[in-house]
Amino acid sequence: MQHVTSAAPATPLTGPAGRRSRLFGRRRAATVPWHVPYLLLAPAALALGAAVVFPFVYLVAISFQQFRARELIQDLPTHWVGLTNYRYILAKPEFWSVLGRTLIFAGVNVALTIAVGMGIALLLQRLGTRMRLLLSISMVLAWATPTVTATQVWQWLFDRDFGVVNWVLTSLRLGNFTQHSWLSDPTSLLGLATLIVVWGALPFVSLVLYAGLSQVPEDLYEAARVDGANAWATFRRVSLPLLAPILLVLTLLSTIWDFRVFTQIFVLQKSGGISEDTNLIGIWAYHQSFGGTPNYGRGAATAFIGVVILLMITAVLVGRMVRIGDES
Amino acid sequence: MKRSNVVVGIVALGVALVAAACGNAATVAPTADTGPLTVWLMNGSAPDAVISALNTEFQAAHPGVTVNVELQQWGGISDKTNTALSTQSPPDVLEMGNTLVSGFASAGGLADLTSKQSSLGGGTWLQSLKEAGTLDGKLYGVPYYAGDRVVVYNKDLFARAGISAPPANRDELIADGQKLMTANASVPGFSALYLPGKDWYAIFSWVFDSGGNIATKSGTKWAGTLEDSAAQSALSWVKDMRSKVGTAPGDGDETKDDSVFESGKAAMVIEAGWHYGVIAKDKPELKDKLGVFPIPGASAAAPVFLGGSNLGIAAKSKHQGLALDYIKLLAGSKYQTQLAVQGGVIPNSTTLLNLHASDPVLSVADAAAARSWFVPNSPNWASVESNNILQDMLAKIFTGRASVADATKAADQALADKLNQ
Repeated sequence: MQHVTSAAPATPLTGPAGRRSRLFGRRRAATVPWHVPYLLLAPAALALGAAVVFPFVYLVAISFQQFRARELIQDLPTHWVGLTNYRYILAKPEFWSVLGRTLIFAGVNVALTIAVGMGIALLLQRLGTRMRLLLSISMVLAWATPTVTATQVWQWLFDRDFGVVNWVLTSLRLGNFTQHSWLSDPTSLLGLATLIVVWGALPFVSLVLYAGLSQVPEDLYEAARVDGANAWATFRRVSLPLLAPILLVLTLLSTIWDFRVFTQIFVLQKSGGISEDTNLIGIWAYHQSFGGTPNYGRGAATAFIGVVILLMITAVLVGRMVRIGDES
Repeated sequence: MKRSNVVVGIVALGVALVAAACGNAATVAPTADTGPLTVWLMNGSAPDAVISALNTEFQAAHPGVTVNVELQQWGGISDKTNTALSTQSPPDVLEMGNTLVSGFASAGGLADLTSKQSSLGGGTWLQSLKEAGTLDGKLYGVPYYAGDRVVVYNKDLFARAGISAPPANRDELIADGQKLMTANASVPGFSALYLPGKDWYAIFSWVFDSGGNIATKSGTKWAGTLEDSAAQSALSWVKDMRSKVGTAPGDGDETKDDSVFESGKAAMVIEAGWHYGVIAKDKPELKDKLGVFPIPGASAAAPVFLGGSNLGIAAKSKHQGLALDYIKLLAGSKYQTQLAVQGGVIPNSTTLLNLHASDPVLSVADAAAARSWFVPNSPNWASVESNNILQDMLAKIFTGRASVADATKAADQALADKLNQ
């Protein structure tokens, strides 16, 4: 063990070959017992197994069972019912409208998050130190606000009777917004939810993109300037290609987050609006599982269908990521 | 060194398991049930003083038994109760909203109390609460208390609009409401009657007054009855009335009733009788200006929703005997009298209904309860509530997103889907 550190970085690191020899060099591999890497991985694997793998396997299992409050409360054996739960859900027109709404909602939210996040990242790049610090701190504060609290505050801003938004819009003579309800129209409610979701996701996305931008070598921009490229061309030809891997990861994460949006809609539905026309798949699955007459089997089946759809979408993104990784 | 640590650990675990097993054996022994007794009561249902007096009396009769009263919030209570009833140490005594009892009972979560009915004073229980606690002829929920809604109004605003007596029927409600709207035209956002569109407990009083219903059962199948002409015409009337006498949101619920009334932006709200006390406490200068009257129907008072609670014992409770003794006290006439006098609720027995005779508010609420309506007694009813089926229907009608005919048709389909699942 003790000899490893003194022996390893004997040669200067000049290129990829040097780096490889440092990390995966034969000498090092020979002195570390074979089980050490596994031991080091074990805590993380155990935690993941307990928190992710087990619940997921259990979820898939009960999606094929008849499992209601009756079975839970009386400890009755649950019956395997094959695809009954899936057939029940897929036959419901409500499911398809909820799914369509969720896909559109997630698509719009991801696109807005990435576009506005990119804009803020570019802004951060050009701002002076003081303003950049101020903007970064504000964003971190927004990020630190718990979702329920943030949604409640937004809901109050847009409140029909006491909201400041209606007052400001009316005062600016942009129309009569006295007692205008932002929640009663489903599109408007989902629009407000979009505002809250994007607002909450922007800090992370723009700070990561800004970090990415700061890694772009300055001489590339200089070269672009020398060639007479304008701002847009510089962004498209220099920044964007270099940011592509980061953008893909962010798109992937945003897709997963926005497909599963729950809290924002759930809180807004409590204050107004028509639930039936504003349910997303997460809320619908929740109602199937726990709403009034619980049916955990159907809820689990809904959740699993959601996971499968999400996997199909993310598979495309992951595929692209792998290809980018191979090229570079 | 390492090995001995493991051995010590295994031994310690074994000791702990044996100790736990002994603990279990001790608690199931029938002779010495020392509790502790866990009691779930809903927040705000009974004054603290009444419950602590009851606990003292209970503990005097059962020396050494600890009683843990845990106050629960109404939000999400259905999920929480289902989960709690499935555990090996559920709450022993539970207060349950009267629309939820049959769901818990049908899932097998509650003990059958049919044989205890006469010893609990079942002969004089309020019929509606007794029915709410009964499923397939068996008693699972002992009537605890009832409550209903009245119109709370601001006498001052009525007098200034030139109205001498509260409206006696629904036509007068519109006429008086329009006078109030005219007299307060300068107040922005004023409502003569502040009636949010999703307040289905209040709005369905007019549906039942017109002879309508939510759903009926024929054989084993439930069918929604909101498309019937009685229900449709009542809902059309409410839509018209709301547009004439108020500006409450069509898609809002009743949570803002008190604050709007207290701000002077409403002359009337429909609320449970005890809100009278809340408003008088929040805004003392309104105290002498408050009055109540029953919800006006077509010719007389409309039937009111008889809300309330029942008490049950968890089927898995290990302290069934203690739990029953606790319920005997809480549902018995001594503490029912205290609840009625100090808490302002309608007590569970017809023999106690004269307690509010001298109270100007509670006597009105008690009298209104003589004509009441209730939700379909189906174990799946909770699913209708949690999916907001009636609220969605009302919001669609009052915000103009759907016609009465279309909205009631969609609601009937949803009712059939949920009630027959």
